[in-house]
Amino acid sequence: VDFLVNLLPHLLNGVALGLLFALVALGFMLIIGVMEVINLAHGSLFALGAYVALATLTADGGLRVEWLRGYFALPVAWRFAVALVVAPVAVAAVGLVLERCLRRTYGKDPLYGLLLTFGAALVLEETIRVVWGPTERFLPLPAAITGGVRVGELIYSVYRFFASAFAIAMILLLWLFLERTPYGALIKAGAHDSEMVRALGVDLTRLRSYVFAFGVALAAIAGIIMAPIWGVRPHVGVDAVVPAFVVIVLGGVGSFGGAVLAGLLVGMLVGLTGAFVTDWSLISMYILLIVVVTFRARGLLGKKSVLEA
Amino acid sequence: MTLRGWITGPMLVAFALFGTLPLWIAEVGLYSYLGVEILIWCIFALGFNVLLGYTGLPSFGHGAYFGIGAYALGLTQLRLAPSLWLGLLAATVVAAALAGAVGLFISHRRGIYFALMTLAFGQMFFFIASKWTSVTRGEDGLLNIKRLPVDLGIVAVDLRSNTALAYFAFACFVVVAVLLWRLVHSPFGTVLRAIKQNEGRAAFLGYNVFLYKWASFTLSAAVAGFAGGLFAMAQNGAYVQAMSLQWSGIVVLMTLIGGGLVSFWGPVVGAVVFFVARDLLGAYTETWLLWYGLMFMAVVMFKPEGIAGMWQAAVRRAAARRGPAAAGGVRVPAEP
Repeated sequence: VDFLVNLLPHLLNGVALGLLFALVALGFMLIIGVMEVINLAHGSLFALGAYVALATLTADGGLRVEWLRGYFALPVAWRFAVALVVAPVAVAAVGLVLERCLRRTYGKDPLYGLLLTFGAALVLEETIRVVWGPTERFLPLPAAITGGVRVGELIYSVYRFFASAFAIAMILLLWLFLERTPYGALIKAGAHDSEMVRALGVDLTRLRSYVFAFGVALAAIAGIIMAPIWGVRPHVGVDAVVPAFVVIVLGGVGSFGGAVLAGLLVGMLVGLTGAFVTDWSLISMYILLIVVVTFRARGLLGKKSVLEA
Repeated sequence: MTLRGWITGPMLVAFALFGTLPLWIAEVGLYSYLGVEILIWCIFALGFNVLLGYTGLPSFGHGAYFGIGAYALGLTQLRLAPSLWLGLLAATVVAAALAGAVGLFISHRRGIYFALMTLAFGQMFFFIASKWTSVTRGEDGLLNIKRLPVDLGIVAVDLRSNTALAYFAFACFVVVAVLLWRLVHSPFGTVLRAIKQNEGRAAFLGYNVFLYKWASFTLSAAVAGFAGGLFAMAQNGAYVQAMSLQWSGIVVLMTLIGGGLVSFWGPVVGAVVFFVARDLLGAYTETWLLWYGLMFMAVVMFKPEGIAGMWQAAVRRAAARRGPAAAGGVRVPAEP
């Protein structure tokens, strides 16, 4: 029993990680569903979200503007709240621009969309390097969500609780949005058969723009929440986008529940292996992916999807 | 089989250019080592294009096989036997064997699913290489790989100078280019193109699509491994960076910008453009990769056929201007 109790903090870390993976993966999946584009720049937009948060949180984070001095004197908690709004909006704006570029690839081989977003990932990462420098940065956090809390014998990181709760809230909101609003119905219909949605008189072009912007905004939010756990560096996007791929393929493309389930599985696996064989923790998710996909080609809860066409 | 099936005009032009490269590269302000790099990446990209351009399968994890080749050559040389040929053979065979195993998992997939799976496997190899320090020396890399002489029995050519290595890389390039050209213009290559156009139809015609895709993947990885072996010689070491996602991406960039989707020589053009851009832009700005990335995005958006595609379009226009008769009444779709 002691052994199991000692596992709890690692399990909590894994759950926090997994929920954030799921959040990134869900945004990614919305884009695949409606646009049939694999957004390889998703990770870079995740990183951009963290950097925009850095700029809104710290005075030396890129915004060295005189009239903002009063703003940077505000308490960290306020600035953190501002960052949680500003960063997704800014990243969504970048997403809108990228979507304009992507329009030229619609109706062609899906390979072109993949390649275009790959180029965009390269450009974004280099832009981050130019603006913020190549070194690792850290987000300052409000005191309320830092430190540790003692439960019984063990110390848990408060931030992991915050990250998990925040991610759960976001996932629930997203689910409500998709299942309970007319916009969600449109998005789901678009993922099912976009041509039919267009034939029914919906402006598909605008729907795609919004879905893309919305999807990358989710990545940006995940980027901010992940930043204190992983640190902020230009290359962090790859660390986020690859697990997102794994989560989607593992959970089954197009399945909301599958993505959450796979996210939690991957997160807990990474967290638990991290406790015992730290060096090999990141590889465990690929092994899980290979094992699952070998036996269930469409992932855990997947149905036939556009990607197989 | 006539000679024309093996050697063509553009091939001779490419060979003449690259074969004389060490003679004039210093004159235009560049250096022989750049020639070595270009030739190695030409080999890598030509092999990659069998998969991307001819079979239509995008791999985002091919850097892994390049890196595996580099490690295989290094380990063979340092631990087994100091032989150039054995090292290069090991680089090719080990990369092919591992890719063959991966191919079993991914060859029934296509399109984006295929891309994701290659990426996952590529990352897996990357992590193994960076963590299995007892074999790969982790982040430090496998150092002290020697450029062993080319032993031809009666004479041995020393490769320690970059000029000599450039000639050797050129010889390898000639062999690989001729063999790959022959391969993609064989019945095998025709089936690959059929799979690219419509996998379902190719299967209905009775071809074992799985086997052809597997063979295409394994073959391109074998060429990548061979190129990686040469690269380990050029760098005097094997480093884990070669297996990173970024390097896997670079070969995709090269192949596409050059025009691998429409021309056999596209990847070669792309490799040359990439390295020249790196050196020329890199001399002016630290952020050359940013500009190169923007250029790549522009190519995908406006001219996905790449540089070779622009060239073909220009040739067609010139032919049309000379007279509609010369251009021919029937438009033949561009053959890659």
